This record gives sequence, structure tokens and C-alpha cells, in this order.
Amino acid sequence: MIRVSNIVKYHGPVRILDGISVGFGKGQVAGIVGPSGSGKSTLLRCINGLERFQEGEVSVGDTIRLVGGPVSPPTKTLLTLRRAVGMVFQQFNLFPHMTALDNVLSGPVYALGTARADAIATARRLLDRVGLADKADSRPSQLSGGQQQRVAIARALAVNPAAILFDEPTSALDPKMSTEVMRVIDDLAGDEQFQTTMVIVSHDIPALRRVADVIVVLEQGKVAFAGPTDEAFRPGGPAATLHD
Amino acid sequence: MNRRWLLAVVALLTLATPSSAQEPPLLRWGGDKNGGAPYIFEDENGKLTGFEVEFAEYLAAELGRKPMFVQNKWDDLPDLLGRGDLDIILNGYEFSQDRHAKTPTTIPYYVYSLRLITRIADKDLTSWADLSKATVPKKVGVLNGSASQRYMSDRFGNQVIIESSETVTEVLDLVKEGQRLDATVQDAPAAVYYVQEGRYPTLRIVDEPVGYGYYVILTRPGADALREKLNEEIRKAIRTGTLRQLYQKYHIWNGAQQRLAYLAEQPWPDVAAELDDVAGEVNAPVAPKFSQILDKLVWAAGMTLILAFASFPLAVVLGMLVAVGRVYGPWVIRTPLGVYVEVLRGTPLLLQLFVIFYLLPQIGVIVGSEWLTGLLSLNKYAAAILGLALNYSAAEAENYRAGLMAVPRGQMEAALALGMSPATAVRRVVLPQAVRIVIPPVTNDFIALFKDTAVTSTIMIVELTGLYYQYKIYPSLVIELAAAVAILYLLMSYPMSLLARWLEKRTSLLAAGGRA
Repeated sequence: MIRVSNIVKYHGPVRILDGISVGFGKGQVAGIVGPSGSGKSTLLRCINGLERFQEGEVSVGDTIRLVGGPVSPPTKTLLTLRRAVGMVFQQFNLFPHMTALDNVLSGPVYALGTARADAIATARRLLDRVGLADKADSRPSQLSGGQQQRVAIARALAVNPAAILFDEPTSALDPKMSTEVMRVIDDLAGDEQFQTTMVIVSHDIPALRRVADVIVVLEQGKVAFAGPTDEAFRPGGPAATLHD
Repeated sequence: MNRRWLLAVVALLTLATPSSAQEPPLLRWGGDKNGGAPYIFEDENGKLTGFEVEFAEYLAAELGRKPMFVQNKWDDLPDLLGRGDLDIILNGYEFSQDRHAKTPTTIPYYVYSLRLITRIADKDLTSWADLSKATVPKKVGVLNGSASQRYMSDRFGNQVIIESSETVTEVLDLVKEGQRLDATVQDAPAAVYYVQEGRYPTLRIVDEPVGYGYYVILTRPGADALREKLNEEIRKAIRTGTLRQLYQKYHIWNGAQQRLAYLAEQPWPDVAAELDDVAGEVNAPVAPKFSQILDKLVWAAGMTLILAFASFPLAVVLGMLVAVGRVYGPWVIRTPLGVYVEVLRGTPLLLQLFVIFYLLPQIGVIVGSEWLTGLLSLNKYAAAILGLALNYSAAEAENYRAGLMAVPRGQMEAALALGMSPATAVRRVVLPQAVRIVIPPVTNDFIALFKDTAVTSTIMIVELTGLYYQYKIYPSLVIELAAAVAILYLLMSYPMSLLARWLEKRTSLLAAGGRA
């Protein structure tokens, strides 16, 4: 589904991602863990095309291929890639001048060109799914952090992406709100009808152990481990020493 | 120690005093060289010359004083005199009873008349009478606040379109160019110098002189001794033929000047009343009543509003586009836009208006294309709106640039991550937030632009300030007029201030999480 092949990214002279190759299957829930500065968030941003990388490539399905290099990728490739791979940010990044409903509608209406009237039912259903049907007309500033992140998840789902990347979705939240958000991700992960691949960068190890099918451990920009969650967290396993 | 210093300073001053005491006292005479030749102007070597310069030097020498020219805007010279910054004004000020009451005048030093100047090629306009016959009203340029403006207003007010400007050459250039003025009425000395002497070979003076009047020197109330001395010296210059020689040197001596000899021997200003009665000849300004110009004030206020409301939206749209280009565009766009902003911010609005209105059509003249000249000869309203819009677009571009930069980077990333194109992300996500952020400075800029419309009077637009300058020449009217203009500005700009404050409050409420 998503194939990352030998990605190299420099930040100045520093090699942030050092030849990373990893794959995520359709409907799979993957957790990416690793110490701070190991390149977890950068990897997600490269997959989504928000950051350029110097070598390697990202492919989504059989048709979307983003190749690294010194030249900016074609806008069309980036648009296709981003419509296929959604993203949920640590700081939510909801649009403050729009209501929760309009935030969810923004992708279908402004990115996909769907008529608002056609997209509105789906948007309301998604808000309902994240438990915020009654907050459709609220602005982000009127919502708690947890509620904002749940709207952000609904917004990412609204363009019906093949995959969603979660970049530390709970680290800006207190434990209670963090639980609210993880409950939504749990719910999505447990839904057999839901076939969207989810890649989650998080320090919330218990949550990852609960929802992730596979774990990728990054260390100094390299893949130290990629395999089943149980194996990653077994005593003496590559992720066993990581704590939330 | 302190005392020793004090003594040293006193000693220095004492030493300095005797030498300065030997200097002749100054005769500070005011004028405006922008009024042009042959009155006061700079020759090719940059030396101040002109018949009034030479006359001032003559008078100063006769009075045993050292002449000191004080340059100031023509309309404002009486204010400077009132403040005590000048001893006299000697710059084509015509006699009127009203003026004499406020700034006592000397006996006349020149008898002026008004001359009609047209293009040689214009066969339809060869006399004053032709101005009334034209089916399409002729556009006639005059100097702001001048005798010619009053003459034209009194005699042809309903038959021609009178456009007022600040300098003679600007008006002559517009007549020469032929797109925006058909004719001009100028005082005889200027008509002789510029047209009769061939400095504008495509123009000519037509018909007979009209509207005779008298140039006088203005003095401060209470400066009776100086005024009497000046009168004596003027009489002497007339009797001895000094004045005649001076005027002949500048080719402005004519038969009308014979009257100077008669006037010089009559009690002044009593004789002026007698001269006022010579119908159709003397064009002494009579101050209108304030109630008579109320409709003009309302019209001028309307013009101020029109200019502001037409130009500011343009400035905002332009500024927004420039800001987006500067923040998100590639360097080939960013660089010229940066130059655009710096040039427009770094040069005065007055200069920009001047370039748009007067110099732009010269491109067509230089390349020899009448079509291009016509295209670039914007009418004064279009030029004013364009000038204000361009000037303020630079300020708005900086406002919006700051606004765009203030929107967190994550907003753009979130929009891109949803699959929006960069342009859509800017338009739908970043710009609406930036617009909210910059509402207070943009509203303040609107108030500033509102007041800056006053500058458009330099391109012949009569808005509130322009109207004030037109009627400011009537001393009896000036206080009421200034108060009325100030009140009108306030009445129009105060609601803007209230709006700005309300928007600021609303924006801060939104930022704090209130409902929009």
C-alpha cells in the first residue's frame, strides 16, 4: 500500500533519515516509535510530501510515486499523494475561522471540488463518529484540545484517504483528552469495515500496543526494527525499553 | 566654576555683537518660485531672478536693508507674514479691500491683465467669446486662488470647465498636450514670458487682455513706517523710470502701466474704490459669503469620499496580491514586487500623482505616438484614484505580508495535507486569517488615505482641502472655512475611527475564543 524505499533526507549536513525502507499494508495500523530526534515525524512529513527528501521514493498503491531529489516534485503528484494520504498533526491545526463542520468539509469542498451540499451528510456522519455531532457549529476556539483533535481526525477522514498519518496526535493533550482521542483511533482500528491504513507516531506506548499491528523502531534516522507489535514489545525486544 | 563659564559666554557674545550690528537689517520678503517666470525663478545657473526679485533687491537697497528671499507656498505666504516670519510679501498678490484690511498693502507696482492662451492648432478657440460658443464646454486651466480663477468663474462659470492647478508650467503643458485642457488664462507677465516669447511654440495668446488689476506688496498690520517707506520708494521708481526699465527688460511693460504714475500720486487705498467702479476692468476679489460656498463645501466633501472609497478597495486588492506574491511566489516574482513596495513606500504620494498625471503622457510624446499619449493622458479623477490606490497598495502589501507571516505555518501545512493546491490553501485558509489579523492597521490606513485625498488638489481636483486653498485667499472667510473643513473631515473620519475600534475589539474577541 505505502512503500518507502531508501529515503535519505538531510537537514544541512545532518542526515535526518538515513536510507529508510519500510512498507505499510492496506488496512494495517502501524506504530512508529523511537527516541526523540530519531526522525519519526520527519518520516511522516516526507511520506505526505510536506518535506522534500534528497534520495529514495515513496509510492502509494501502484499509481502514486514521489521521487526524492533536488528538484521540487510536480504539484500534480503532490496533490494526488496528499489526497491519498491524510495527516493528523500534534497541534491539531484546525482552521480557526471555520466551524467544526466547515473544517471537516474543507477537504472535500476545497481539495476534491465536491459540492458542499453533497459533502455535508458525510461530514456530519464523521463528526458523529468522533463523538462531536453536537459541536458541528462550534469554532475551534470553543472546543477542548481533545475535541479539536477529534475534529482533525474527522477532517482527515473526510477526503476518504487510503492512509492517515498521525503525528504525535496526543502529545499536546492531558491524559483525559488523550484517552478521548485514542478511543477514536481504537474505534477506527477495530472497525473491520474501515480499510484505511493508519501510521501513528506516538510516545503513548500502551495505546500503540493496543492498536498497532506492526511497530517500526527508528534510531538515528534508520529502521532498527520493523515487525509485529508483540515481537517489538516482548521482553528484550527492540521496543521493550521504550516507555510512555 | 559655573560663574567663570558664564562670564566666558557673555564675553564671546559681546565680541560677536559689534560685527553683527554692522550688518544692514534684513528685508525678509516672501514669494513662491513655483509660481514661475518671469516673477521669481532660477536661471540656468541656479541664481534667483525675475522682475520681482530685482524689484525686491532694488527696494531693499533703497531702504538700506539686505534682501532675504523666503520661499513658501504662495497661498500660505500671508500666514507667514502674520506670524512675523516675513517683513513683506512681493509675489503677484493683487489688491483687494479685504486683503488690505488684513495685510495693509502698498501702492501698486504693476498693472496686470489676464490673457487667454490656446493652441495654435485650435481654430475653434480664437477669442473670449468662443468660450461661450463651444457646444462641448472647453476645459480652461487657471492657477488656484488666482485672479484668473475668479474672472473665469464670474464670467464663464456655467460655460466652461475650470480646472485649477498650482503652477503655470503644469497648466501650459496640459494645454500643449491637448488632451486634458483646451486653454488657460494667465496673468499677462506669465503669458508674455512663456507664450509670446516662444517658450511654448505651439501655443498663442488670443484676443485682448481683460480683468485688469494691481499687484501690491503686502505688509504686516502696524508696520506703517515700513509701508510708508516702501510707498516712497515705489513712487520714486515710477517717477524715475526705474520700474519701467525693469519691466522693459522682462518685456512686460505695456500701456496699462501708465496708470502706475497716476495711482502713485493718489491717496492709497482710497483710490482703489474709485477704480473698482470701472466695470469690466478691475477684477478686485470680493470675498463671497460663507453661505454662498456651502454647496461647494458639500460637493468637495463628496469628492473626498468618492476618492477614498474608490481608491482604497483597489489598494487593498492590489496590496493583498502583492503580499501573496511576496510571501509565496518564486524569487522572479518576489524581487520585482519587493522593488514595487519599496519604490511606492519610499516616494511621496505627491510625486507619484505628479508622475501619473503630468509625466506619464510624455512617454507617448517622446515615442511620437498620439494614440499612446491619449491612452496615458488619464483624466484627473482616474489619475487621483490610481495614484492613491498604488501608493496605499504598498502599505497594504506590507500589512498583509505581516498578516500572512503571522498565520501559524501549521495552517498552510494542514491545508496542503488535505490535498488543497497551494493557491487554494492561501485563498481559503491562510488569507482569511491574515485579513482578520490586519483589520486594525488596514482600517487605520483607510482613515489616513481619507485625509491624504487632500494631495490630489495638486492635479486639479477640488476636494475639501483644495477648496480650502481656493477660498483661503479671502482673509475674512478663512476662519469659518478652516473650521468647516475641519469639522467635515472629522464628521467623515470619526465613523471610520469607531469602525476601526469596533473591528479591533471584535478581532481580539475572536482571538480570545469568542463567537464571530
